[in-house]
Amino acid sequence: MKLSDVDVAVIGSGPAGMAAAIKAREEGAESVVILERQEQLGGLLHQCIHNGFGLFYFGEDLTGPEYARRFAEKVQDLGIRVLLETMVTRISPERQITAFSRHEGYLSFRPKSIVLAMGCRERSRGQLNIPGTRPAGIFTAGTAQRLVNVEGFLPGGKVVILGSGDVGLIMARRLTLEGAEVKAVVEILPYVGGLIRNEVQCLHDFQIPLLLEHTVTRIHGERRVEGVTIARVGKDKRPIPGTEQEVECDTLLLSVGLIPENELSRLAGVELDPLTGGPLVDEWRETNIPGIFAGGNVVHVHDLVDNVSWEAEIAGAGAARFAQRGRLEKKAKIILKTGRNIRYIVPQSISRETGVTLYLRVREMEEKVRLKVGDIFSQALRVVKPSEMLKVELSPAQLARLDEDAREILVECERRS
Amino acid sequence: MAVERITCIGCPLGCQVTLETNDREEVVKISGHRCKQGRRYVLEEHRNPVRVFTSTVLTEGSSQPLLPVRTNRPIPKTRLKEAAKALARARAKPPIKAGQAIMTDLLDTGADVIATSDLLT
Repeated sequence: MKLSDVDVAVIGSGPAGMAAAIKAREEGAESVVILERQEQLGGLLHQCIHNGFGLFYFGEDLTGPEYARRFAEKVQDLGIRVLLETMVTRISPERQITAFSRHEGYLSFRPKSIVLAMGCRERSRGQLNIPGTRPAGIFTAGTAQRLVNVEGFLPGGKVVILGSGDVGLIMARRLTLEGAEVKAVVEILPYVGGLIRNEVQCLHDFQIPLLLEHTVTRIHGERRVEGVTIARVGKDKRPIPGTEQEVECDTLLLSVGLIPENELSRLAGVELDPLTGGPLVDEWRETNIPGIFAGGNVVHVHDLVDNVSWEAEIAGAGAARFAQRGRLEKKAKIILKTGRNIRYIVPQSISRETGVTLYLRVREMEEKVRLKVGDIFSQALRVVKPSEMLKVELSPAQLARLDEDAREILVECERRS
Repeated sequence: MAVERITCIGCPLGCQVTLETNDREEVVKISGHRCKQGRRYVLEEHRNPVRVFTSTVLTEGSSQPLLPVRTNRPIPKTRLKEAAKALARARAKPPIKAGQAIMTDLLDTGADVIATSDLLT
């Protein structure tokens, strides 16, 4: 098969990859190819059988598969080439892609531009270093989700869930509806990690106990999980001796963090931001490597799929423009600095060329704050939480108010009285 | 006199709202909310809490083990577990197109259970 003259190659076909490919095509890129390692388009959307997708992008309350279908149909309508069961194993700094395809065999080609849309993976038990034995019955929440929603298996009957991120909350509900007993959701922080909507509709609705400021300190069981030890933690997040309780269970689900999947990015020499785990990008979502763009969870972990698709569209448009012009002309770079109570900002740098939307997260929950971007933007907010990403739209007029020779802008979260 | 506590999901504040009802089950007091929309949401949630039910159905004669489904409109929150049990006996046979109803009027709620993706083989 002919893979020369590809304008834009998109790696991954989830809500980011599909959106990027569609946008690239709409912006005039003639030859757009999506490389997807699974057997169908959609990425993780297929195992997200619950609703809550597309509330903002489509103005409708869709399930994951329905959201995927909207994009997949458009991919087909636009004549975007799709290579399924195709695994990219390497991208060189010169944008040479090496891939292995079940149908086409070994592929090596050099597109004019690339969009990285590989999404993210879950943090595992090994990374948490939970003491105890290594019995069967320990799953990450996303793995359990795949088992229940795609493969048709119930991972266990008595479940404890560590971590109150959205995937964990969603699985608490799903397992309960499928007949398992979810004994507790255990969260180390004093507040829930996921959206309030999920706290209410997954935990409150089913009276599933939520243990805040607690953690699992030991796993028990030889061949199969038999129970866990749960202890209260102090402000320093360390277990408080004497507060241990034993909870009998046969399954432990881990919902303790998502990590952007950047193995390919690293191999290509893409510079990553330690604060996000994803590439350093500018307002076009271009990385430090000309012609390599990135969008979606591979850049930073989002809460809403709508934002994943919107962000990926920026990368897709950037990639199409790069393919057409050979490069992106950019004015001098302005670095966004994280100030008080700001954990990260994407993009990490901007120029003054176009209006830009900043996506950011705070470090800690706070009420009555003022979000400031240098002297050009200020907004009072009632509450900010790390689990709810914030968006700041900066217009060209606002950016024009920056000093000619400004090279940095400070983004911070001030307390209001 | 009864008291109900509802968490509003309208915005990240997640106000804990308290509703007090009298012996005729009329709402006499609402407190704890910080905006109008919140007040509206908790009143509706108190009066008629509903949820869209999403699940999967076992397939028959297909290489895919499960078909993801949803109700095409929300059903009473109190009937979710019953709904899950009602689907347990259902089997989906291809060909089925996304949006197609595989069960109508689930538990007399007026809601249909529809496929959220195709099941062609």
